[in-house]
Amino acid sequence: MSSILLVDDHAVLRAGLRLLLESQPDMVVVGEAEDARTAITQATTLQPDLILLDLSLTNSSGLAAIQSLRAAAPQARILVLTMHDDEGYVRQALAAGAHGYVLKRAADAELIAAIRAVLRGELYIHPALTRRLLEDILPQPQPTNPWESLSEREREVLVLVARGYTAAEIASQLNLSPKTVETYRTRGMEKLGLRSRAALVQFALDHNLLAPT
Amino acid sequence: MNTVHGQHWLRRWAAVIWQVIGAVNIRAKILGIVLGLVVLIGVAATIEVRLLLEQTLTNQAYEHSVAVARDMAARATDLTLMRDYYGLFRLLRDTQANNPDLRYAFVIDSEGTIIAHTFGTGFPVGLRDANTVTANEHHRSVLLTTDEGDIWDIAVPIFDGRAGIARVGLSLATREQTVAAVTGQLLITTIMAAAVGITAAALLTWILTRPILQLVELTKAVASGDFSRRAQRWANDEIGKLTDAFNAMSEALAQAERERAEREQMRAQYVTQIITAQEEERKRIARELHDSTSQALTSLLIGLRSLADRHHSPELRRQVDDLRGIVGQVLHDLHALARQLRPSVLDDLGLAAAIQRYVADCRARSGLTIDLAMPDLTDERLDPALETALYRIVQEALTNVIRHAHATTASVVIERRNGHLRAIIEDNGCGFDPASLSGDGHLGLNGIRERAALLNGQLIIESAPGSGTTLYVEFPLPATNEERHEQHSVGR
Repeated sequence: MSSILLVDDHAVLRAGLRLLLESQPDMVVVGEAEDARTAITQATTLQPDLILLDLSLTNSSGLAAIQSLRAAAPQARILVLTMHDDEGYVRQALAAGAHGYVLKRAADAELIAAIRAVLRGELYIHPALTRRLLEDILPQPQPTNPWESLSEREREVLVLVARGYTAAEIASQLNLSPKTVETYRTRGMEKLGLRSRAALVQFALDHNLLAPT
Repeated sequence: MNTVHGQHWLRRWAAVIWQVIGAVNIRAKILGIVLGLVVLIGVAATIEVRLLLEQTLTNQAYEHSVAVARDMAARATDLTLMRDYYGLFRLLRDTQANNPDLRYAFVIDSEGTIIAHTFGTGFPVGLRDANTVTANEHHRSVLLTTDEGDIWDIAVPIFDGRAGIARVGLSLATREQTVAAVTGQLLITTIMAAAVGITAAALLTWILTRPILQLVELTKAVASGDFSRRAQRWANDEIGKLTDAFNAMSEALAQAERERAEREQMRAQYVTQIITAQEEERKRIARELHDSTSQALTSLLIGLRSLADRHHSPELRRQVDDLRGIVGQVLHDLHALARQLRPSVLDDLGLAAAIQRYVADCRARSGLTIDLAMPDLTDERLDPALETALYRIVQEALTNVIRHAHATTASVVIERRNGHLRAIIEDNGCGFDPASLSGDGHLGLNGIRERAALLNGQLIIESAPGSGTTLYVEFPLPATNEERHEQHSVGR
């Protein structure tokens, strides 16, 4: 039997959740809290197996409460149940020590499975969010470095474009006409296989071309 | 034909002269006028005086010499008749001694023999025949040109010509010396007068041009926007009046500028208030949708799940599942609507996360390729007003790209450089002429400019028909944001 602490500032939702969880044979809701302070007190005294935590609480943020909850009940697993579907929240929640992240709009379908997974010691993240989280670490196709094949002028222009200068500023800095700057830029980007300014900035970062002047 | 030609030349020369005169400054003009006048008057006076003096002196010397010659002839009558050559010689010597201008004197008897003369040795050849006089003449004079200069030779008959002729030679050297001395004196006077004139003119031009130069300097200051300076009044003349008028104009301009600045400030405050109120309102509604409405729907969702779990009738479960689907969709839509109004990410996680999210949404919604790079934006939070402004600007710019640019690729870059934050939104679409920014299609751009200006930012647009559009929006990053925080707090 796993003991669960519900932390959410909506009483109706807590009631619904309690109903849902208690109907599971292996789960029991041992306490409820609607703000971070009560949650921490409850966690300390109840030492639940799992804390179901909303990120927006009365007068405080659930994100900030995660670390305190971890400290209050070190063996408790923390599953975030929230409306926020931005990976920024996921990142911060996981960084603070949460073990899972479930969206409220999928609560009916996923919540039970997520609770079981987290209790088993696994990490559960709503599938739609996993993809965005992993995009950063998925291997990006790295083209061979054609930077060396660029002319001196093309490189100068591209570095300044990447630094955020306007075409007019670059033109006056290099004593060229804006049209010529545009030509160098287009040709250089074509050689590098870059389709946009942002791609160029990313390329420059990856190749360490933006050393401060 | 000739006159036409002449007029043409005249005009050309007039143009050349005016070019030269017009090019020099007033000081040179006045100095030129004064110097020209002094020199002209000096030279004219010198020439006139010289001519008059020469004439007067010549006449005087001439008359004097005739008198001397006649006196000498009268006194020589007896001596000639008595053939007293020694007496005659002494008479000539005395006469010459008494008249320094007399170069020589001699007497010719009725036979034409020179019987006395003042040349020590040797009588000049040809001198005797150079002049003669008849008995009934009063005298006769001839101007001789000799190696000693011009000499008036005067012949007077002695004893009505019966005793011979007395001749004297009057040298004009003294007269020329006098004339030269007077001319020299006049020239020196002219030069001194010119020097005094130049000094006076320099002083005058300084007095004249100093206030003018001051006015020129102040006019430049006014042209560059400095209305605070006033010209000092020097004199009660036309320039003094010009100074007064200039000062009045500066005062009026300064007043107008103050009023304009006040109005501009009021307008900016007003717009800021409107934007703040709008953001607050959106935030409130978004939170309301997010917190109350969504939570209630979530409760409904979970209740439906419990209901389905506890009943095993397939018909009921199917209906409950349908309901769950509907509620789930409504929740999703509500969430999207709340985010559109004002994303909670912007308040909770900051600009970078909010823009990342917005760009991802845009990609999904429009099918446009949008690259994003924010190399200098970390999790650190900026001034909430600045974050809101930048977020809304990126939102507006990308909306413009999607609606009007017909682009296939867009890119958003946010960089930090030299204490400035610069957002660059670029597309490869149809572009436009930035000079024609007043059209209805560019209301969005004007909104961006407006929003930027409220936080001392500025918008630079680089675009041309057919070659895409780049918007640069740059904000200064203040060292301390505290005051602005309180004024424009939109975010929290």
